[in-house]
Amino acid sequence: MEVLRKIFQDKFAKAAFIVLAALYIVILFADFIAPYSNTYSNRSMAYAPPSKIYTIDERGKLSRPYTYNYKREYEPALMQTVFKQDRSKKYYIKPFVKAEGYKFLGLIPTHRHLFGVDKGGELYLLGTDINGRDVFSRLLFGGRISMTVGFLSLLIVFPIGLLYGGISGYFGGIIDTLMMRFAEATMAIPSFYLLIILAAILPSGMTSIQRFMLIIVILGLIGWAGFARVVRGMVLSIKNEDFVQAEKTIGASNMRIILKHILPQTTSYVIIAMTLSVPSYILAESGLSFLGLGIQQPDASWGNMLKEAQEFTNILYRPWLLTPGVLIFIAVLSFNLLGDAIRDVLDPKSQKRI
Amino acid sequence: MKRIFTVIFLLILVGIFLKVFVKQDIPQKISDKIVRHDLQEINYPPDEKNVTINGIDYLQSQAPVGNFGGELIISTIGEGPKTFNPCNTKDATSSSMAGLLYDGLVTTNPRTGKVMPLLAKEFDINGNDYIIHLRHGIKWTDGNPITADDVMYTYNEIVFKGLGNPSTMDAMKVEGKLPELVKLDDYTVKFTTPKPFAPFLRQLSYPIVPKHYFKPYSDKGESVFNAFLSPNTPPKEIVSSGAFQLKEYVAAQRVVFVRNPNYYKINLKDEKLPYLNKLVYMIVGDTNNEILKFEAKEIDVLSLRGSNVARYKIREPESDYVIYNLGPDTGTLFLVINLNNRKNKDGKPYVNPMKHKWFANRDFRAAIDWAVDRKNMVQNIASGVAEPLFTAESLNSIYLNKYIKGHPCDLDVARKSLEKAGFINKDGKLYDADGNRVEFDLYTNAGNLEREALGVMVKQDLENLGMKVNFKPVEFNSLVNKLTNTHDWDMAIMGLTGSPLEPHDGKNVWTSSGSLHMFNQRPAGYNIDDRLDWEKELDEIFSEGALKLTFEERKPLYDRYQTIIYNQKPIIYLYSPTRITAIRKKFKNVFPTSLSGLIYNLDEIYIDEES
Repeated sequence: MEVLRKIFQDKFAKAAFIVLAALYIVILFADFIAPYSNTYSNRSMAYAPPSKIYTIDERGKLSRPYTYNYKREYEPALMQTVFKQDRSKKYYIKPFVKAEGYKFLGLIPTHRHLFGVDKGGELYLLGTDINGRDVFSRLLFGGRISMTVGFLSLLIVFPIGLLYGGISGYFGGIIDTLMMRFAEATMAIPSFYLLIILAAILPSGMTSIQRFMLIIVILGLIGWAGFARVVRGMVLSIKNEDFVQAEKTIGASNMRIILKHILPQTTSYVIIAMTLSVPSYILAESGLSFLGLGIQQPDASWGNMLKEAQEFTNILYRPWLLTPGVLIFIAVLSFNLLGDAIRDVLDPKSQKRI
Repeated sequence: MKRIFTVIFLLILVGIFLKVFVKQDIPQKISDKIVRHDLQEINYPPDEKNVTINGIDYLQSQAPVGNFGGELIISTIGEGPKTFNPCNTKDATSSSMAGLLYDGLVTTNPRTGKVMPLLAKEFDINGNDYIIHLRHGIKWTDGNPITADDVMYTYNEIVFKGLGNPSTMDAMKVEGKLPELVKLDDYTVKFTTPKPFAPFLRQLSYPIVPKHYFKPYSDKGESVFNAFLSPNTPPKEIVSSGAFQLKEYVAAQRVVFVRNPNYYKINLKDEKLPYLNKLVYMIVGDTNNEILKFEAKEIDVLSLRGSNVARYKIREPESDYVIYNLGPDTGTLFLVINLNNRKNKDGKPYVNPMKHKWFANRDFRAAIDWAVDRKNMVQNIASGVAEPLFTAESLNSIYLNKYIKGHPCDLDVARKSLEKAGFINKDGKLYDADGNRVEFDLYTNAGNLEREALGVMVKQDLENLGMKVNFKPVEFNSLVNKLTNTHDWDMAIMGLTGSPLEPHDGKNVWTSSGSLHMFNQRPAGYNIDDRLDWEKELDEIFSEGALKLTFEERKPLYDRYQTIIYNQKPIIYLYSPTRITAIRKKFKNVFPTSLSGLIYNLDEIYIDEES
């Protein structure tokens, strides 16, 4: 608790923590918060701009927020698709409306969504994509993948890294040399290219979930080496401490000494490294999906949603397609700020952030 | 002090919050301005004529006379040419650039699609004999005359030996036999095909190369010949015949051509063409890059797709370019269904027999055809810049079967068709007669926005019928491998480009032994006759169609093939993009056609700076 209090003394860290907590809560309740499901699509509304929400009506009176539907028109002379407001009917935005069914938290079947409009109305807070799917809803569902991929990768990286570094540092000598050269060789592989190659040779018959898991494993398998090296360095100094010598005299096994007595000493570093490495995994997943090798359509991730904004006209005329990029930016920045603050608190020896 | 700042900060935050959420509903002003949509009328000049001046047989362009000088800059997407050897091109960029350097005996009339003489002065067809008369007095860029020896050399020592890219040799074979070639005199040669063979005349557009320049290399064998005229060749050394000759090649940046002073085409004032001094190909990485270059006026021609069209159309009246609508492209996008019932080496069927039973059912395929929503595909994915497609021939093909009208998307018809085929719909889930849930995989190549979006739409359309579709975009090479080698796929979204002039080019897709017979691919060397009835008929049509020589005789055959495909639906066509191209206004003598595109007549185009 003392540590948490210290961390929150840093304003940036506090803000970052709040942002991250909000993001995770939102993606946890994505089904409930999003007005539409992940697969909802409206054929006639591809690339519709964000719905305009009004709180003052046309006579200048304050009103409950409402919106209009769009109607799509095609201008054959210009070969242009235009969206015009259908001002014949107002749709009021209401809380807890009934819409598409889903299972709340995967358990309770329900039809209620946090907000929405009545039947017949369309509410696209951030417009729609090429298939007429609500970008806002997909951002939330995509966040589920993009924001968890980092943590799940850590579950692979850290056990490997800790054990590998621990053994290498503890035994020293020829074992240490061999293990560290291998780790260095792994680090020397250009990681993004390796990712691309691995993603390309993945069996094509996989479902999206399997693919997601494999991406996590791939990300994990190339990320452990750097971490193992630092752990090994720490173990090298810890193993000369008196308590390790004492342990040896008692006759404890090597594995027990490493696992129970040496590695716990590295906890503070591990926590710092974890927070600081999450962003790189978020970016790696986005990068892969952006190149079309990560999460595949129709599933959403921030990376593959951002891919649509790659096209020149989309950046010019459909800026709402860039929102996944904004969220990646916010998430990565928050993790970095929080990580920095944790480092300042847990590792007083390192240089303070100014 | 600090507190005051905090208060001000909070006030600003609240202000921004209110600004975002308090918005007055002011009706949008809808502009009543009518967009003028002038149909561009193009006055095509008459066909070119042969004119003999001082014993030299020139080809006279009938287009309006223009000014000499200036340069045209076009772009090419990708890595640039890999070779300038016209006999050894394997990619589109190389073949278009090598094609610029070397003319063939004949060419295609850009408007009618008929074959007309180019390097040949004229040709006579007499049964299986093709007598070609060459032009007298025309020269290669190094001043040597172009004679029958060059033609003899090109065909006998390169094409018929399969040197370089052997695809022309393969295409010229009739029942395994190549045509014979005899030299009648220095300016006349005679080809004799073993049987009447319709595509042959058009195949004579193969570039003729100079014997004195090529022979030393072709004599040294395949590997030397393949390395010959690589992009590193000093441009001055290259001996060519086309309107433009190579000036400079800067790797990954540009290819520069200059006018060939020895070219055999003249204008109405008997001045030697081409008008342009320089023709530059800029090598650009991708379409976005190309658009930016056009905006920066670094290139003069831009082909437009999707929503870019509207962006340029709106600015056209105030701009320095004109936009031409060339009509539907030869490119097609389609959904292909795997009808393969063969087993692999381990005795395992390529396609699950349960699924094969569905796919082999014509009514099942018809249901899919009726369920796909082509109208919204065109509208959403191609931004309206495309045409729904129902035929195997592309929409600008001269052999298009105009009686196939297509149909709208209708789920009721699709459901009835499924019922007829014995499928049962329970609670929105489709089961076959044996009670198996209808579930299959749909593949396309990942990273292609258009095809991925198509896949998502097809998946939704089919799920409306109760099928379960697992949409799997995979890496391009592994998709090709699936289609051509491992055959372990159910359905795929693919695209192909065809020829608008010669339906026989589709032979590799439609004949049962073809290398691209995707929907029922047989392994190489397969000799069991397990053709479906309609596959047999297609085989017959394609072998018969090649032997018939006139358009009138061939048309009914190729109409029939399109009807078979439309009825059997092994491939369900989705749409063809419309070709829209912009070119700067200062370029004159631009006569775009649906068959040949915008700038096929580079030798006639000139610059008029005043307009």
